[in-house]
Amino acid sequence: MRSKFLLFAFLLFTSIGLSQTVDVTGTVLDSSTGEVLVGTNIFIKNSQTGISTDIDGNFKITGVPVGSTIVFTYLGYKDFEYKVSKSESITVKLVETAQALNEIVVLGYSSQKKRDVTGAVTVITGKTIDDLKPIKVEQALQGTVSGVVVTQQSGAPGAGLDIKIRGVATNGSTGPYVIIDGYQGDLSILNPDDIESITVLKDAQAAIYGTLGANGVVVVTTKSGKRNTKTKVSYSGYTGFQETSKKLNLLNATEYALLLNESYANGGQSLPYPNVSGLGTGTDWQNQIFNKAPMISNEFSFSGGSDKMAYSFSASDLYQQGIIGKGKSDFKRNTARLSLNADLSEKIKFQTNLIYTYLDRDSFNDSGLGSVLFNAINTPSTLSVYDTNGNYTLVPSTPGYGIEIINPLAQLDNTFNDYKLKKLNGSVRFDYDLINHLKLTGRMGFNTSNSDGKSFAKEVSYGGKVFDVTRSSVSQNKINDNSYTFDFFAEYNNTFGENHKIKATVGTTVYKEYGSGLFGTGYDVPNNSWEYADLSLATGTGGDGVRDTYSYAYDERRLSFFGFFEYAFNGKYLLTGALRRDLSTKFGPENRVAIFPSFTAGWVVSDENFFKQTKALNFLKLRASYGVLGNDQIRNNGYVGSLSGEATYVINGSVVNGTAVGVLPNPKLQWEEAKKFDIGVDLKMFDEKVSITSDYFSETRDNLLIGNIPVSGITGVYAPGSGSPTINAGAVRNRGLEFAINYEDKISESMKFKVGYNVTTIDNEVLEVNNSTGYLEGGSFGVGQLYPVRMEAGQPMGYFYGYQTDGIFQNQAEIDAHPSQAALGAATSPGDIRYKDLNNDGVINQNDRTNIGDPIANVTMGFNFTFNYKNLDLTSYSYASLGNDMIRNYERTLSDVNRLNYVLDRWTGEGTSNSVPRVTTAATNNNVLSDYFVEDASFLRIQNIQLGYSFSDNLINKVGLTKLRLYTSVNNVYTFTKYRGFDPAATNGSPIGGGIDYGFYPTPRTFILGINANF
Amino acid sequence: MKKYIVKTSLGLLLFTTLFVACTDSFVDREPVYSIDSENYFNSEDDYYKALIAAYDMLQSSYVNVLLGEIASDNTLSGGESANDVIGFQQIDDMTHTSVNSNLKDIWNWMFAGVNRANYILEFKDKTDFEGKEQIIAEARFLRAYYHFELVKWFGPIPMKGDARFKLGDEKIIPRSSVEDVYASIEADLIYAIANLNEVAPETGRATKGAAQALLGKAYLYQDKFVDASNVLEDLITDANYSLVTNYNSIFENSGENGSESVFEVQYTDTEGAGFGCLQCSEGNVAVGFNGIRNYSGPLFDSGYSFNVPTQDAYDAFEVGDNRRDVAILNIVTWASSTGASYGTGYKHTGFFNRKYLPRQGDANIGDQNLTNPNNYRAIRYADVLLMAAEAYNRGGIDDVKARTYLNQVRRRAFGDTNHDISASGAALTDFILAERRLELVGEGHRFFDLVRTNRAATTITGFTPNKNEIFPIPIEEIQFSNGNWQQNPNY
Repeated sequence: MRSKFLLFAFLLFTSIGLSQTVDVTGTVLDSSTGEVLVGTNIFIKNSQTGISTDIDGNFKITGVPVGSTIVFTYLGYKDFEYKVSKSESITVKLVETAQALNEIVVLGYSSQKKRDVTGAVTVITGKTIDDLKPIKVEQALQGTVSGVVVTQQSGAPGAGLDIKIRGVATNGSTGPYVIIDGYQGDLSILNPDDIESITVLKDAQAAIYGTLGANGVVVVTTKSGKRNTKTKVSYSGYTGFQETSKKLNLLNATEYALLLNESYANGGQSLPYPNVSGLGTGTDWQNQIFNKAPMISNEFSFSGGSDKMAYSFSASDLYQQGIIGKGKSDFKRNTARLSLNADLSEKIKFQTNLIYTYLDRDSFNDSGLGSVLFNAINTPSTLSVYDTNGNYTLVPSTPGYGIEIINPLAQLDNTFNDYKLKKLNGSVRFDYDLINHLKLTGRMGFNTSNSDGKSFAKEVSYGGKVFDVTRSSVSQNKINDNSYTFDFFAEYNNTFGENHKIKATVGTTVYKEYGSGLFGTGYDVPNNSWEYADLSLATGTGGDGVRDTYSYAYDERRLSFFGFFEYAFNGKYLLTGALRRDLSTKFGPENRVAIFPSFTAGWVVSDENFFKQTKALNFLKLRASYGVLGNDQIRNNGYVGSLSGEATYVINGSVVNGTAVGVLPNPKLQWEEAKKFDIGVDLKMFDEKVSITSDYFSETRDNLLIGNIPVSGITGVYAPGSGSPTINAGAVRNRGLEFAINYEDKISESMKFKVGYNVTTIDNEVLEVNNSTGYLEGGSFGVGQLYPVRMEAGQPMGYFYGYQTDGIFQNQAEIDAHPSQAALGAATSPGDIRYKDLNNDGVINQNDRTNIGDPIANVTMGFNFTFNYKNLDLTSYSYASLGNDMIRNYERTLSDVNRLNYVLDRWTGEGTSNSVPRVTTAATNNNVLSDYFVEDASFLRIQNIQLGYSFSDNLINKVGLTKLRLYTSVNNVYTFTKYRGFDPAATNGSPIGGGIDYGFYPTPRTFILGINANF
Repeated sequence: MKKYIVKTSLGLLLFTTLFVACTDSFVDREPVYSIDSENYFNSEDDYYKALIAAYDMLQSSYVNVLLGEIASDNTLSGGESANDVIGFQQIDDMTHTSVNSNLKDIWNWMFAGVNRANYILEFKDKTDFEGKEQIIAEARFLRAYYHFELVKWFGPIPMKGDARFKLGDEKIIPRSSVEDVYASIEADLIYAIANLNEVAPETGRATKGAAQALLGKAYLYQDKFVDASNVLEDLITDANYSLVTNYNSIFENSGENGSESVFEVQYTDTEGAGFGCLQCSEGNVAVGFNGIRNYSGPLFDSGYSFNVPTQDAYDAFEVGDNRRDVAILNIVTWASSTGASYGTGYKHTGFFNRKYLPRQGDANIGDQNLTNPNNYRAIRYADVLLMAAEAYNRGGIDDVKARTYLNQVRRRAFGDTNHDISASGAALTDFILAERRLELVGEGHRFFDLVRTNRAATTITGFTPNKNEIFPIPIEEIQFSNGNWQQNPNY
């Protein structure tokens, strides 16, 4: 509703006075960009006189009494005051302030002035996104918003990210609800450059979104044109390359051979490498798979507007290759966006935004057992890449290598897949000023997308490994997803008396998502080649009765009614209340209706008479909020039993498909309930140069939806295609403090800086797990081991459950003196890990396991600064995470695989090591999950450093440019950490099982060179 | 002013209309393309399809077969290393505890079978059609089959009659005694015998003979020798089955569902699964697990080298016994005669379970090692003859008959009558039991034969009497039962 503020009409006035009056003319500019500011409000202080700047930013104000003050105000900029002494022409440069109190915060159904916001809300502007140059939007929230943690599932191009707001409150889906221009949307495929602002609703304020708000709400506003502006054309582009940010320290060929000899000798076997001379360093498999990969981005846009309409258009192209596999893991994104708004009549306003996205992503198995990276880590350096015939060397088919480890380069070469997505999303909105103070809004947002996936399994032999394919096949799928969000609401806005400001909104939202997927597989691909890999050519079928095709369809709906109410007295006392009623097909008929109330209150203390505004303290607001929110992110139709199980048997020699019960239903299924409490303070100090926001929050999530909850096997849930029901069976509490401070100042006219820091503490505790065991297990460690991760009352969510170590047995006497560890499966020898007998029962067994770490950071921080000197600008963003642990699980426990070089410090005899156990091919208990495998994954990451140079106006104006800036930027500059694995910040995002490092594809370090030009 | 009123009214009307249009019925929609499990069994086809589901779980019994051997003196665990499938390793060493994911699999999968059979029986009266007794009889046969596996492995187990277990039952329903479980098995099989055809309607489905054989076996496990001999004698008299002349052909692909096959679990190589869901495979997972590690050579495909026969098992065969080289592959001899190469895994003995080794030429779609088509010959006629012999002998009923049946099996093994047994009484018992081992090595029966004849303690290294006769209930189940179920003694 920006336009509303720009549409201040000329107010005529007559001034009859004795004092002398003068005329002032001039231009209003943005101090940093030098662009004209159209529609700046200008008025004479303490009078009714006001005008605004025209389309060229010019103004003329007549009849100004000498000695009076003219005030310039523009949304998002600091007010500027000018004392008039004579008739003159002046140039006013307004300074942009991100923290400006008059900034409008888009909250979804409505918007509020920042000053009046009573919830815990953080806004990310397009400027921040511009600084960070993220490839995906989520990255812009990393370290920039207190209370928000963004983690990456993989460093592969196009890989997904997870956003968690204020801790992990559920074992289910933890991601926030995303609203794009009013409709439910998807953050992950948006072009970051199309975003005007992102508002993160962290507390009960999100309750207006009912069953959707529990994980927080992210409100995205895309760019639109500004009224009364000339057409602005811009181009921005960058190119650069990426490289791996980390390599593991693996053994070279000689080290490996010597270690293997020792291991075999300890196991009583003959030496595999009787002669190690001449082995040298061998093959560095990481060097073989990692490469420098290019990336390039181009974007073109134009925008402008008249007094009745505004438009904005942009188109972009991004291409990125992977640091592993080059074109085998690449990501291409094309987007086009059109935004239009117009006054159809005095009363009716129209607005539309449309975004088209095209994605093309190729990927390979990039994490975990069997991934390319896993093979590169585990393939011994004694093997060469190619054999003497120039073919890929096969990893020998001997027991010591197992059957999963293959030549990673051969694996890459034989991986073929393709994914393409075409998506159109957008919204249409009408606002109708029915009568004074009452406005009706109808809004329809939609998403529709089609994707094509294809993967080709080439007939290939790795010499008796599990990845051998005996019959080539190609699998294809087509998926169609659609959704619409229809909002209809009425907003009443009025001020009674002098001081009673009221805003009330009632409305309804209808949401429906529906779609289908179709999958097919064809066998015997002609020529065993990707070029021929298509169902049209692969005419072979699976066996008799085997289904080569599959499909699904869904139709989920939600109906909501909501109302909210804002009351402000004198601008000092602010109160809001909201109520939402949701009906959702996610829940059973017994529990379809949910009602979510919330309240917030604010007190602008600095407006009180008793409060003396000083230079040191300009603004002080206290806030509090409480509300109940819901979460419905679970599988569809969990309340009804369906025959979706697998029932396949062989009758008369052919496969026959029957019907079996699928996942067990839970008719009582209902939403998760989040009770959010927040108190906060907003401060501005030292002429608003320093702004501080701090919050204490506490959220209790009840009725936790636990999907596939482990239940007794007698119910048949372990049958193929069956599964445990989703049950409301837990509670989790997150408490913490957030503190954010920004300081902005100038040292001289040409030297300015901005510094921001934020810190969040999280105390996460599971309060209740209401199944028969009192805990849930998950994750995986090694092969065939017990679940390593638990969710259990009194513990942090997803904590690691294993043995505590107590050094290394140095000699047999120590073993004899210690409780027997035989129950762990193998005999103990000197050099083995000593485990603690925690329950003091004289034997080490599974009952001695305990909390040995958790993946939730106790403290997260973000730090950023911007420094401008004349035409130069320097920006840097960093973030840190403290107290998060990670389980090292990328090592395969086989005798002949390569190792990390920490094993060089192993125990080799009494007194040699008290931390790293001996190596042996014999059975040991050293591989059970213990704190030996848990590492502190705290880190500090310099996320971005960007240096830019803007050419002077007089230089570029001659060539028709209004802005030209060149910059260079490094992303993921450096990570300070003790963690040995590739990426301490990576996780699969799972609340139970996250924090296990299966060998994550590291986030690349990126070097780019870019240009921004405006015409 | 009038204009305002009109406009306001119109606006409010529009608003109300839209508001009301969005009634709660908007969310009343049926799940798309979905069949409600509680509103099923409306046609013969529905029953048939649910029966397929009940059969499906038989395929997951591959692990019962593997462990039935590994637990015994026939084979060692093998595998890649001491830590490879720890559950197998511990059972081989008789050090297994209630924490054992493989035992948990047996519990979970066999109960899934029980539940799928009970799904049909729960709705057995819903819809009538001709031939329903056949389907109900098959469902009861399958329930008995799964119950028999469960009682063999775990002793007392919970039962709920003709109904599926539902959540919470684990806290209420006690474990029925072994006697009660067997009573249920007997009742199911007696019904099945009365209602099943002697010839299966389709290959792979249960016959009257299968029910008779399983009932005979169940009696034998309870030392009910008279009952056992009666039902097995009926089966033999019906003469629907016969010994295949050439022992070698039984375990080849061409020998599947042959004249000797009383009941056979069907597998295929056309639809596999991954390690994440072994029970989902339509192939015989045990076969890949039995396979020769890193094998390269004729006839066989490689595998994971589990379940490797012992020297003792190999040496148990007399000279001239044709079964030895069919049952057990001597890899050294084989390699030297064919030039094959192989790897040595953990507890390598030089022998492999040849009856169930992966054969070359199978499609193995899905996963090379998890999608082998070798059917499991669950009950062979030779087994029936030996069970009958045992029942007649141990019951003191008729040693002549016992010898006749025993010697039928031996004559096929040696191809002559020179190796006929002429002993009686306890000596004959020893011969019959020894013959069971030789005839059925690698087929998953050995451990339970030793236990039920009280020979396990003296034969199996590490076997603790009054403990290892049955296996522990999975720790998870004890926890789920919330005190309702006690752990088996001494675990």
